[in-house]
Amino acid sequence: MKIPDSLFTRRRFLGALIGGWFAALAGAVLSPLRKFIIPPYREPDEVTLPLVDYASLAAGEVKSFSWGIKPGFLRKTPDGAYLALVGVCTHLDCNVSFRPAENRFFCACHEGWYDENGRNIAGPPPKPLRRLAVAVEGENLVVRKTGLSR
Amino acid sequence: MSRIGAWFERRLGMSGIIKFLSQKEVPQHEHTVWYYTGSAVLLFLAIQIVTGIMLALYYQPTIEGANASVARIMTEIPLGWLIRSVHSWSATFMIAIVFVHMLSIAFLKSYRAPRELTWATGVVLLALSLAFGFTGYLLPWDELSLAATKVGTDLPKAIPVVGAWLTKVMRGGEDVAGDTLTRFFIVHVCVLPLSLLAVLGGHIFLIQRHGISLPLRAERKNETPRTLPFWPNFVLREAMVWLALFSGLLTIAIFFAPSLGPAADLMAPAPAGIKPEWYFLFLFQTLKLFPANILGVPGETVGVGLITVAAAWLFFLPLIDTRPAEKKGRVVTGVLAAFLVYALAMSVWSLL
Repeated sequence: MKIPDSLFTRRRFLGALIGGWFAALAGAVLSPLRKFIIPPYREPDEVTLPLVDYASLAAGEVKSFSWGIKPGFLRKTPDGAYLALVGVCTHLDCNVSFRPAENRFFCACHEGWYDENGRNIAGPPPKPLRRLAVAVEGENLVVRKTGLSR
Repeated sequence: MSRIGAWFERRLGMSGIIKFLSQKEVPQHEHTVWYYTGSAVLLFLAIQIVTGIMLALYYQPTIEGANASVARIMTEIPLGWLIRSVHSWSATFMIAIVFVHMLSIAFLKSYRAPRELTWATGVVLLALSLAFGFTGYLLPWDELSLAATKVGTDLPKAIPVVGAWLTKVMRGGEDVAGDTLTRFFIVHVCVLPLSLLAVLGGHIFLIQRHGISLPLRAERKNETPRTLPFWPNFVLREAMVWLALFSGLLTIAIFFAPSLGPAADLMAPAPAGIKPEWYFLFLFQTLKLFPANILGVPGETVGVGLITVAAAWLFFLPLIDTRPAEKKGRVVTGVLAAFLVYALAMSVWSLL
């Protein structure tokens, strides 16, 4: 039925109304599912390491640590400071290894190379390895996400 | 018809379908051989379902249990090594025949009207098959499977807007971890099989609806080709092919059982010389060659963009190749052949 001067029929109006209700219902059902499928992120804000384990590092030497569930690398720079890197390739997320012979980090997945400071120098990696802040606090080395302050 | 048969017929009314199947004819010509590839895929699918259910009886989809449970299947469970080997090799056979099936249809241009939707459902089935391979590869949870999954789930990140979200959904968080394994398992054994069976139902229905296609030349000559009854003549010929493939599969599975690496360690560096499954080798080699930046765009974004364009081109091929018998059709054939040569060359290169 279409009354004079109406833009559409009653059937079309009711159809659109019911369709809209169903769309809203579908949205209401799907949005909690969308939330449910991704668990909360659990990267640590900071990791505390006993200084004694890392104090004996020679200049230029690299030792690994656990950055949450990711590998981290701690390197003593020639001037005695510490440099912390997340050991995950910036190309496609593979874990890298440190190659002491070449003094470089290497990703075996697609043959990416980083220099001793984590700068991407060869192969597909688009960015340097992610850096973390390191501070000596008493008996501990504290590795933090950069940009976090206390 | 017996009384029991009549009882069922009154309730099911299947006589139309039975009559259709009993009168079905398969054309005989120089390209009839490709008709066998479709049912060969079904053979391997059936083997995958049976052996997959068997493996799931012992497999544990957790970070602590996965590698050990596969090791138990390989060493303790009677004939467990054989069931796993058949599952692994049958996957390879299935993907290989899916490719042959698709290429034969592409080169014979059987996707032309009115079979565009049959082709489109086929492309979806190819994507589902590759997704089966990708998710199944992680389940043994060894070093190789971890690295392959990290790479494969990181790739979508390069897609603008939805990419990062997609990666999180696939991984169950920011990183590949225990949740990823559990989710890949449930996708591999529940989500993908249900999807595959639904799309496969549509695919097979469409094939019956339109009848099997003829090569362009036979169709243009407008002559009715020689035919063979589907039942029993063609089915018996198919059964011979199935038997040959099955015995080939078993022989290879017995002599070349897949290995199982040490359990994946989230902290360990990716093992040297890693490679994905053979059907992803050309992508792997391409990603290796892409520089970090191409004209200011990240290499992965260009790579993922090209993959998306290629997939869309394949899906819409029947709408693109609308004049298969003319010059346009020859150009499409050329592009297909070039892509095939590229994929083969890249795969061989990645193995050198």
